[in-house]
Amino acid sequence: MVLVLMLISTITALLVALVNDLTKDAIAESNTQAKNVAKFAVLGTTDSEARIARDTTCTIGDFAITVSTVVRNDDQTVIGYAVEAPSITKSGYADRITLMVGFKEEGEDAIINAVEVLSQKETPGLGANMTKAGNSLERSIVAKNPAELTFAVSKEGGSFDALTGSTISSRAYANAVETAYAGYLWATGRLNTDIKAAETTTGSTVQNDSNLM
Amino acid sequence: MSKLQIITKGIIKENPTFVLILGMCPTIGVTSSAINGMGMGVATMVVLIMSNMVISMIKNVVPDKVRIPAFIVVIASFVTIIEMLMQAYMPSLYASLGVFIPLIVVNCIILGRAEAFASKNSVWDSALDGVGIGLGFTLSLTVIGAVREVLGSGAIFGYTFADGVMPLLFILAPGGFLVLGYLMVMFNKIAKR
Amino acid sequence: MMNILIGENISAEVLDGFATGSVTVQSITLVAIIIGAIFVNNVVLSQFLGICPFLGVSSKVETSLGMGMAVTFVMALSSVVTWCLQTYVLNPFGIGYMQTIAFILVIAALVQMVEIVLKKVSPALYQALGIFLPLITTNCAVLGVAIIAIQKDFDLLTGVVYSVAAALGFALALVLFAGIRERLEVEDVPQAMRGVPIALITAGLLAMAFMGFANVVPLP
Repeated sequence: MVLVLMLISTITALLVALVNDLTKDAIAESNTQAKNVAKFAVLGTTDSEARIARDTTCTIGDFAITVSTVVRNDDQTVIGYAVEAPSITKSGYADRITLMVGFKEEGEDAIINAVEVLSQKETPGLGANMTKAGNSLERSIVAKNPAELTFAVSKEGGSFDALTGSTISSRAYANAVETAYAGYLWATGRLNTDIKAAETTTGSTVQNDSNLM
Repeated sequence: MSKLQIITKGIIKENPTFVLILGMCPTIGVTSSAINGMGMGVATMVVLIMSNMVISMIKNVVPDKVRIPAFIVVIASFVTIIEMLMQAYMPSLYASLGVFIPLIVVNCIILGRAEAFASKNSVWDSALDGVGIGLGFTLSLTVIGAVREVLGSGAIFGYTFADGVMPLLFILAPGGFLVLGYLMVMFNKIAKR
Repeated sequence: MMNILIGENISAEVLDGFATGSVTVQSITLVAIIIGAIFVNNVVLSQFLGICPFLGVSSKVETSLGMGMAVTFVMALSSVVTWCLQTYVLNPFGIGYMQTIAFILVIAALVQMVEIVLKKVSPALYQALGIFLPLITTNCAVLGVAIIAIQKDFDLLTGVVYSVAAALGFALALVLFAGIRERLEVEDVPQAMRGVPIALITAGLLAMAFMGFANVVPLP
């Protein structure tokens, strides 16, 4: 009796492991692809007219913040920075939230161009509404200078208009945007702190930098 | 019982939500809008059809005493496999249905049907039972979701028709219990006459 | 034009993350976790877990108390076992995707074992809890709480405290609900509303009452 149960468990476990092995690469592939699409989308462009010149990743504990420099294909000018960042110090209702935030520069100032939700496990119909286009959270920060924002929900004196009935999810969203902004400042060398976070850079940095000039 | 009856009984006579009272957790948990209810229903139907078939296939091998743990393991593996396959090869479908899939593991509707039907019937009949019960579940969840969406956010299937402040209560937990309760009253009045 | 200092508005915690390369998650006191799990995030009334036993075994206060105790007992044990399983088996071998399957199997085995041990060691306790044990295997609250405890990165002690508190929340909801249903028995309820429908409507009102606990403590 126990033997049969053991046998069934072993067979199903093997099957799951097999499928995991088969699908692992495809899943990673489709995730990377989705991220790449989002990188261009939050800067209002596509991969046909722009490319990623450089990815700088900062590792904080278990979290990774990746800042991608997106440049125009034709004249190599920087369109902006797409930052992938989780809500590092605040969790949502179920789990941490990961956003892709697009920053564009206008002279000295930066503005938030658009935000896309990369991963969230919030309640359907409530916190999960952050994935909908034109939700109150995104509306309250798009086209604003992140330096002027207060990273909290409006009823706590912040700049983010919380989703109805989802204060916790909204706080995590604000935290992810804050992390993204910090990551953007960090990657452009303006974060006012001693950095010990591990850094990795991919992409031909030197050459591209000279191209950008 | 004719093959057609196996399918149609799930919609009214043995409606999983209103008559069998199975799978209450996802029923209340995800029906904050019509589209969510429908998504959960469809995802459950797919899993139910396949798990019913597998359970029916292995029903003679599994000793009675370890029946429940064995079924649960089979169902859980199934759900995990479907989730992986969907994530890998149908990413857009996964994006819309993905959040519901892990919830299906803890949906007693699957185990309930494995126990009540699949462990006693042929593979083909069990698949049909999955279709019927799955359809009934999808229908009920869509209706509950639609009612809650109309009352709570003034919209239906995402199309907003009433602006302004709506009674948010209906998309929160208490609204789930209340709407399901009152719909069950109506179902009893109409269907059981 | 205001003179804005760049990065002035970034909180100390986030800056700290970049400065030290690790995040110190604000610790929540055990008291906050307990109150949060029993009242604010009640498993049944706000997390939608364990609704089937909630509706099924709540017609009498006495039986619901028994069920509540049995669930508390199993959840306390299973939180220890699942935590160890996650930390010492699933994480080191990188097979996190087996989580649900492993947990379900462990919980089912645990319930069976508790049943056998209880029968031998304490027949009195078995008499009281025995009939509820098989029902617990299919109680999604047990698996749900075990997974939440892992998701929230609790250490062993916090995880156990959280699980017991969640189970007590389940017991509290169950007993309160059974009390109301006992009263309903003697009321003249319209035919179509008898049984589950009126129970669901009652649960809705109870859930509304529990909403009053929102924001009492910071959530884990």
